[in-house]
Amino acid sequence: MIRTPTTRPSLRLIDRLATRVWAPAQALIRPFRRRWWVDALVILGVCAVLFGVVAMGREWTGVHRPAIQIDLSPQALPGYTFFSMMRGLAAYVLSLAFTLVYGFWAAKDPRAEKLLVPLLDILQSIPVLGFMPGLVLAMVALFPHTNVGLELAAVIMIFTGQAWNMTFSFYHSLKSVPHDIAEASTAYRFDWWRRFKWVELPFGATGLVWNSMMSMAGGWFFLMINEAFRLGDHDFRLPGLGSYMSVAVAEGRTDAMAMAVLAMVLMIVGLDQLLWRPVVVWAQRFRVEETAAAEASRSWFLDLLRRSVVIRRLGRWRKARARRRRAAPAPPAHPVTRGIVKPPAALAAVALWLLLALLAWGGLRLLHLLAHLPAAYWAALGVAGLATLARVLVSTLIGTAWALPVGLAIGLSPRLSRLLQPVVQVMASFPAPMLFPLAIALLHAAGVGLGLGSIVLMLLGTQWYILFNVIAGASSVPSDLREAMVAFRMNRRERFWALYLPAVFPYLVTGWVTAAGGAWNASIVAEYVTYKGATLATRGLGAAVSQAAEHAQFPHLAAAVLVMSLVVVSFNRVVWRRCYELASTRFSLTR
Amino acid sequence: MSATVPMAPDPSAPICELRSVQKSFDRGDGKPLRVLEDITLEVRPNEVLCLLGPSGCGKSTILRIVAGLIRPTSGEVRFHGQPVDGLNPGVAIVFQSFALLPWMTVEQNVAVVLRALGLDETAVQERALGAIRMVGLEGFRGAYPRELSGGMKQRVGMARALSTDPEVLLMDEPFSQVDALTAEGLRAEVLDIWDDRERNLSSILMVSHDIGEVAYMADRIVILSANPGRIRTVVENTLPRPRDARSPEMLMLLDHLHDIITSAELPDVAVTTAGPSVPQDVVEPLPHVQPSDMLGLVEYLATHGGAADLFQVASDTHFTFVEVLGTVKGAEMLDLVDTPQRLVRLTALGQHFVRADMDERQRLWRGQLLKLGLFRVVLELLALHGGEVARDAVLAEVRQRLPREDPERIFDTLVQWGRFGEVLAYREEDRVLSRV
Repeated sequence: MIRTPTTRPSLRLIDRLATRVWAPAQALIRPFRRRWWVDALVILGVCAVLFGVVAMGREWTGVHRPAIQIDLSPQALPGYTFFSMMRGLAAYVLSLAFTLVYGFWAAKDPRAEKLLVPLLDILQSIPVLGFMPGLVLAMVALFPHTNVGLELAAVIMIFTGQAWNMTFSFYHSLKSVPHDIAEASTAYRFDWWRRFKWVELPFGATGLVWNSMMSMAGGWFFLMINEAFRLGDHDFRLPGLGSYMSVAVAEGRTDAMAMAVLAMVLMIVGLDQLLWRPVVVWAQRFRVEETAAAEASRSWFLDLLRRSVVIRRLGRWRKARARRRRAAPAPPAHPVTRGIVKPPAALAAVALWLLLALLAWGGLRLLHLLAHLPAAYWAALGVAGLATLARVLVSTLIGTAWALPVGLAIGLSPRLSRLLQPVVQVMASFPAPMLFPLAIALLHAAGVGLGLGSIVLMLLGTQWYILFNVIAGASSVPSDLREAMVAFRMNRRERFWALYLPAVFPYLVTGWVTAAGGAWNASIVAEYVTYKGATLATRGLGAAVSQAAEHAQFPHLAAAVLVMSLVVVSFNRVVWRRCYELASTRFSLTR
Repeated sequence: MSATVPMAPDPSAPICELRSVQKSFDRGDGKPLRVLEDITLEVRPNEVLCLLGPSGCGKSTILRIVAGLIRPTSGEVRFHGQPVDGLNPGVAIVFQSFALLPWMTVEQNVAVVLRALGLDETAVQERALGAIRMVGLEGFRGAYPRELSGGMKQRVGMARALSTDPEVLLMDEPFSQVDALTAEGLRAEVLDIWDDRERNLSSILMVSHDIGEVAYMADRIVILSANPGRIRTVVENTLPRPRDARSPEMLMLLDHLHDIITSAELPDVAVTTAGPSVPQDVVEPLPHVQPSDMLGLVEYLATHGGAADLFQVASDTHFTFVEVLGTVKGAEMLDLVDTPQRLVRLTALGQHFVRADMDERQRLWRGQLLKLGLFRVVLELLALHGGEVARDAVLAEVRQRLPREDPERIFDTLVQWGRFGEVLAYREEDRVLSRV
C-alpha cells in the first residue's frame, strides 16, 4: 500500500447521519441523566466480548483440520463475521505495537532512521500477497497441530495491509513536534518515557487515529484471499467472512454473496460507530491548533456510554486509587541532577545490527532464489509491469475525470457534503474484491475482456479515495476567496481554473497516491480472477504474482513481487513526490 | 467595470441605495437570526461613506448586500435608480482578509479578474499594469502573495478592485489586518486615488470599527447599533481635506463620535446588578469579555488614580474603542466600575478588589456573579438537575431568555466568568456544565 500522507481532516465519518438523528433525540432527554439500560447494555457488551474471546481461543487452539467446510446458511454468517472482525482487530493491535516501536525508533535514532525510513517505503510498496505464501507455510510449519499457525498467518496478512500507513503517520508526527514544546520538555527534565507519554504520543494521537481508521479499512481489502488461500494443491482455509464469500462465489450462490456483502457493510459501519467514532471524539483533546474551525465531531455511542453508572464508578474508583497512590509516601525524589534518561543506546545498536543482518540474509536468499530464472521471464515481467502501470494510470485518470467535478459539487455545498460524505466513506472502506464477481458478470455480459475489464475492477476500489479527498479539499476552500471570485464576476469555468482546481490540488494528489497504491494492490486480484470455475487472466504484473502464488512457484513469485515494488517505488519517487512538492509549495492555502 | 449607466441627469442623485433592507440568517434551528433591520442608506456621488459599529452589528453584511453577494431578506438595492438583482454592476470590493489567490503572482491576481470581464489580452495587460503601478507595486509584479507583507497584499487587493474601474469602491475593514503605520499610509493613498478626477471612481463605501480612521476618511459616517443591526445616526463630516488628526475640529469630531457610541453601549441608567427589587427573570446578556481583560482594566484604573477617560484607555492599551467599551460594560455589570458619561471609575468595591489578594478577589467575583440574572438562572438549572447540565440545555435556556443574542458566545462568556469565580466548572469533552 502506498502512504497516505499523515492526517487529512478529510475523513468525516458515518457519524454525521447518526448524530443528526441522535442530537434531536438527545435534546428530548436533555437533562443529563443516568440510565439503567445503558448499564445493562454495558454489562451485556462486556459479557459478549468475553464470550467471543473464549470462542476465538477455542477456534485458534482447535485441532488443525485440513480443509474447513464453510456453511453458507445465513445463521452461520454472524459467527464468521465475528471471527473476521477479531482477526482484523488482532492485526490492528499488532499494527499499533509495530507503529509505536518502529516509528519511535526511526524518529529517535538518526543512524537507524537512514535505514528504517526507506525500508518502510519499500515495505509499503510490496503487494500484500507477496508476503503470503512464505508466511503461511512458515506459520503452519511452526504450529503443525493447531489452527494457531494459520490464524497467525491471516492476522499478519491483515497487518501488512494496515501497519505502514500508521507507522509513517506516527513517524512524521514525532518528527514534527513543535520546537518550543520539545524544548520545554527538555527544560523540565522529562525522561524519554515521560516525553513519549506526555508529549509525543498525544501529539501524534490525532494523526494516528485517522490513519488507524484508514488502515483498518485497508486491512479488509484482501480478506477473501487471506481467509481462503490456496497454494499449489493446498487449501488453507479459515472460517470467516472472506472465506464465506469466496465459497459463495465458487458455488455461484448469489443470495449468499449478497448476504456477505451486507454483513461486511454492517461490520464496517458498526466498527466505525462503536469503536472509531468514540476514539476520534476522545482524541479531539489532543488537537494542537487552538482555533479548530472545523466543527467538533460527536459520537452518539460515547455520549451513551457516558450515561452509564458502572463506567462512571469505575472511572471514579480509578481516580481515587491513583490519588491514594500519590498520597502514599513517595519514594525519595530523584535528585534533579538525574538528567535526561535516554532509551538504552546499546539496545538500539544491537537491534540495528540484527536488522541489518536479517536484511542481508534476506537479500542473499532472494538473490539465490532469483538466480535461476531465465532472462525471458524477466523480460516478460517488464512488459507485464508496463501493462499494469498503464492500467493503474488509466484507472486513476478515469477516477479523476468523474470524481473531480462530482467531488467539487459535493464539497462546495455544505448540505450535499453533510448528506453524502458518510456514504462515500463506507464505499471507500468496503473491500472492493467482494464486488468483483458482480462486476465480472456484468463485464462478461457486455463482452469486455479482462485486459480492459481489470481497469474497471481497479476503479471499483480506488475511485472513492479520489472522491473523498476532493470533497475534503473543496469544503476547505476559504469562503473569502469564493466570495471574491463571485464579486469579480468569474464564470464557472474561470472559477474552476483560477480557484477550485489549484485549491483542491494538494488533496487531489493525496487521492491520486492512495488510489494508485490501491490500484497496484488490486491488480493482483483484478488481473487474475476465478469466475464460474474458470480462471480468467490477462497479461500484467498482478496476474504474474497471483499465478506464481497459486502454483507455488517461489522464484517467480519473488521476481514478480520485486519488479512490482521496484516499479511502485520508482514511480513514487519520480512522479508522486514531485506532485507533492508542487502541491505544498505552489498550491498550499496555508503557507 | 465601466458602469453601463444611462446618462444620469441629476448629478447629485445617489449612485447606490439600500431601501428598507432587512436580513435574517437561518440558524438551522428554525428560528432565524435577524442581523439587519430596516436599513436605508444611499451612496452619493463623490463621497466617502463609512459604516461604523461594534462587531456583530452587520456592517459587513450591509457591504455584501450592496455588492450583491448576499440577497436581502426584504427590501431592495438600487444602482442609479434601477433595482439590482444579483451582482451590483458598478462596484468592486476590497476584502478584509485580502482574498488573493496564493498560486498566482501579483500580476496574475489582477489580470484574472480582467479576463473574467472579457477584455482582450492587450487591454488586460495594459489595465493590470496600470492598476499595479497606481498602488506602487510595479516591482512586485512577479511576486506571490506569500512573499508580501499584509500592507502589500492589501495594495494588491486594491489594485485588483481598481483595475475593474468601478464607480463605487467597497472596502470591508481594509486596514484591520495591516500594521498601524502601514494603515496610516494606505488611508492617505486611498484618498489620493479617490481624489483623482481622471478615474471613473466616484465614491467609496467603507466598513470600519476604528473611530480615528472613520473621522479621517469619511464625508458621512453611518453609526450602527447591534442586535439586530440598525442605523443609529448619520454624522456629517465637513472638515476640509487633507485632514489633520490633531486639529481641534478633528478632536471635537472624535469626541462627538465617542459620545454617540458610548451612550449607545453604556447607557447612563442603573445597571441591573442584583437588588431584591429586580424581578427574578430579568436576564442581561453578558458582553463577550475575558475576565483577564476586566482584571487588566481595574489594574489600569488603579494605577491611573481610579478613573480615566474611555478614549484614553483605548489609546493607552491599544485596544479598539469598541473592545474597551465591552470590557468596561462587563466590569460595570459586576459593579467594579461605573461610568459617568465618558469617564470610567473604580467603585468602592472595585477599589477593594484591586487591593485584595487572589483568594479574596475570587470571593468578591463570585459574590458579584451570583447577583447576575443569568448566573442565577443557570445555577437554578444546575440545582434542578443534580449539579450537572448538558451544554445544549443551557444553550436552549439562553436562547429562550435572550432570543437576540448569540447563545454560544453567551455560553462561552458564562463559562469563562464562572470558572474564574470558581462557581462553574465545564468539561469540554462531554460538554457538561457543573457546579463547583
